[in-house]
Amino acid sequence: MSVEPIQPQTRPGLGLDALQEMRISRRKNRLLEMEWFDALYRVYLTAFLGGGFVLFVSGLIKDTKLDSVGVTDFSARTPQMLGVAFAAAFFLGLRTGANGGPIAVEDADVRHVLLAPISRSVVLRHPVIQKVRSLTFVGVLAGAAAGQLIARRLPGEPIHWVFYCAVVGGLIGALFIATALIAHAINMPFWATTIFGGGVLVWQIWAALGTDVRHGPANAIAEIAVWPLGVDAVNLVGALVILVLLLIGVSLSGRLSIEALARRSNLVAQLKFAVTLQDIRTVVLLRRQLGQESMRSVPWWKIARVGRLGPVMRRGLHSYTRFPTRRIIRMVILVAIAAIGLVYAYRGTAPAVVVSGLCLFILGLELVEPMSQEVDQPERNESFPVVRGQIMRMHLVMPALMLIPFAIIGGVVAGIMQRNSTGAPAVIAILAIPIVGASACGAVINTVKGMPDPLGQSAERLYMPPEVSGLTTVIRSAWPPAVSILACTPVLIVRSAEENGMNVIGAAIRGAVACSLAIVLIVGWVHQRDVIQKWWRDVMEGGRAAQADRSKSEGGLL
Amino acid sequence: MNKHPKPPATNDKLHVPSSPPAALELHAVEKNYGDATALETLSLRVESGQRVALLGHNGSGKTTMLRMSSGLLSTSSGDITIFNQPAGSLAARARLSYIADQPTFYDDLSLWQHLEYVARLHGVDNWDQHAADLLDHLGLYERADDLPNSFSRGLKQKAAIAIAFVRPFELLIVDEPFVGLDAAGKDALLELFDQAHEDGAALVVATHELGFVHSVQRIIALRDGSLVYDGPPGDADVGELVRQG
Repeated sequence: MSVEPIQPQTRPGLGLDALQEMRISRRKNRLLEMEWFDALYRVYLTAFLGGGFVLFVSGLIKDTKLDSVGVTDFSARTPQMLGVAFAAAFFLGLRTGANGGPIAVEDADVRHVLLAPISRSVVLRHPVIQKVRSLTFVGVLAGAAAGQLIARRLPGEPIHWVFYCAVVGGLIGALFIATALIAHAINMPFWATTIFGGGVLVWQIWAALGTDVRHGPANAIAEIAVWPLGVDAVNLVGALVILVLLLIGVSLSGRLSIEALARRSNLVAQLKFAVTLQDIRTVVLLRRQLGQESMRSVPWWKIARVGRLGPVMRRGLHSYTRFPTRRIIRMVILVAIAAIGLVYAYRGTAPAVVVSGLCLFILGLELVEPMSQEVDQPERNESFPVVRGQIMRMHLVMPALMLIPFAIIGGVVAGIMQRNSTGAPAVIAILAIPIVGASACGAVINTVKGMPDPLGQSAERLYMPPEVSGLTTVIRSAWPPAVSILACTPVLIVRSAEENGMNVIGAAIRGAVACSLAIVLIVGWVHQRDVIQKWWRDVMEGGRAAQADRSKSEGGLL
Repeated sequence: MNKHPKPPATNDKLHVPSSPPAALELHAVEKNYGDATALETLSLRVESGQRVALLGHNGSGKTTMLRMSSGLLSTSSGDITIFNQPAGSLAARARLSYIADQPTFYDDLSLWQHLEYVARLHGVDNWDQHAADLLDHLGLYERADDLPNSFSRGLKQKAAIAIAFVRPFELLIVDEPFVGLDAAGKDALLELFDQAHEDGAALVVATHELGFVHSVQRIIALRDGSLVYDGPPGDADVGELVRQG
């Protein structure tokens, strides 16, 4: 059956009034339904933790002003170092855009609004501008906090440092979102983002790592941060370029891929929920899905169907043979950054161990992937006729072997950076594997303890004040990365030994022994965790029962 | 039941073909996800007013084909047109209504508010009587003020059907619409399909529901991303095609 075709027509502005009205109405509804006490508490807790962090970092910075040589050095080196943040924002922006970011709209919006015959530019401009606003705001806040900290050691008005650093922070946020929007809208291939963005990033890192002043692509724009020491109007060109890129990005909103938006909408909602729960494993899995990073359909190498290795170790090996190239490259980059951070810590920038520790923690999360898969399937491993702790302990063997090449890569990077130091190769050879191994133990702890149970221990938490229960949750999530960071501190022991004229090789051996002890302890904990937990539960229940009996008997006496 | 409304009258005239355009046309369309091929080179044409059943087993490429036609997925190669307009374009969106296999709703809108929103987004001014009729027909009238995300699977499916029918369309593509529906719901949906068909709309429905498959003019069957049958139900062993699906 066929009919006279109806002329396909569109009306300018069709449905836009409904869209506007519904957005306003939904916003009103959300405000009405908002749990104000809960929202205010979250703001309070964020301010509490954020303020605490700024105070902690302030404590690490001396109050004495830099001398003129120090100020000159700071003025010359800062643009190169800060330029790395711009280059990283550019690189990550391109990658995010090629992955379908940076915005995510509601699943229902994709289905009902983006499939309606109304202009997608108009529909998407709203979430795009929201994203621009939020990211630049975060950049401004971070920049202002950094400006407040460095103002204490530098000449000039603190307000100027705060202002210009805030401007730079905002520009970094704007650059990220502008490049992401453009890369998404022009459908930039992933390999192109790696070459183009990676090239800029490597160039800027090369500029930052030099002992002399080297020209990097982002030096000029980053110089705005040191304007309190002298204004150079040429630097505004970079800022203008970013603003133009941002305008282009926003104007291309209508060209964002609906396929990518549909894919991201549901995943981003889950990701936010996982972040709320501080569930790192789920965050990792969802990030992989967002990045469309799936295991190789063809393994790197084939393993014989029958082998001598135990089933758990073979299972681990099978997993590694399907690691995608992107993940392996990421792991190499992580260990390289960690090595660079450790070298900087050795040279005097002690907080760099935090960067190294976090990089090695993430590397560890990748290395213990087979074990994470096991933890993801609790019903399955509960069904094995083997003690769970034993399976988990066996799952540590392959990651321990796999981390060796990465430790060697890290060692090579550190060796290149310290090529002029005669004692460096021995120290690196002693510390590389123990540090990477102990840092990976942070990831092991995170994996074995599993995802947080928001309903578990609810009875205990009922009696805790919000600050304590909130902090308990934060500490529970923070201690695995803290273990990774602590595992990087042997470098500081070596530095201290060198400063005090002691034997650095001896200090390195002491550090390596400490790391090895930590590894042994954590492996033991992995094996005995269920037994310890059972013992602890029994003790607690026994205590509660005894308390109840005492209360009953006291009640009877009264 | 009132007849479903036509697309809104507008000022801008778009491309007007000399012969009646196909409701849906796929030209050498392919879809790959990395190394995996979801749909191999596929070309087909669905005429205006045609009633088509799309059959295939899990992973045969039905959903991929329907999602590409709706504009939710892009093609790896080839192109898809809806009444001679590129799939996903504004003009195509005005004429195509899509019911997905997984219903999706806003958390904070009632069913009635969903109907209002979608109808008005499509420029339907007198939507309320039509919406009320649809809800009554599907047995959802009493639940109009409830949040559809709190519904059971079957009720969610009915709500998605109501939303798809409250707006004008000339091509309806539907992915597994009978899943979760009770007998009354299935009958109500079949009546809506009949009504839309009488109004001249083309229907492409991915389903294994024999009741519907026997009523269509054409069956398209996919297997592992390839076309394995395209013709009237009379020429095919419908039962076998459905079983393979």
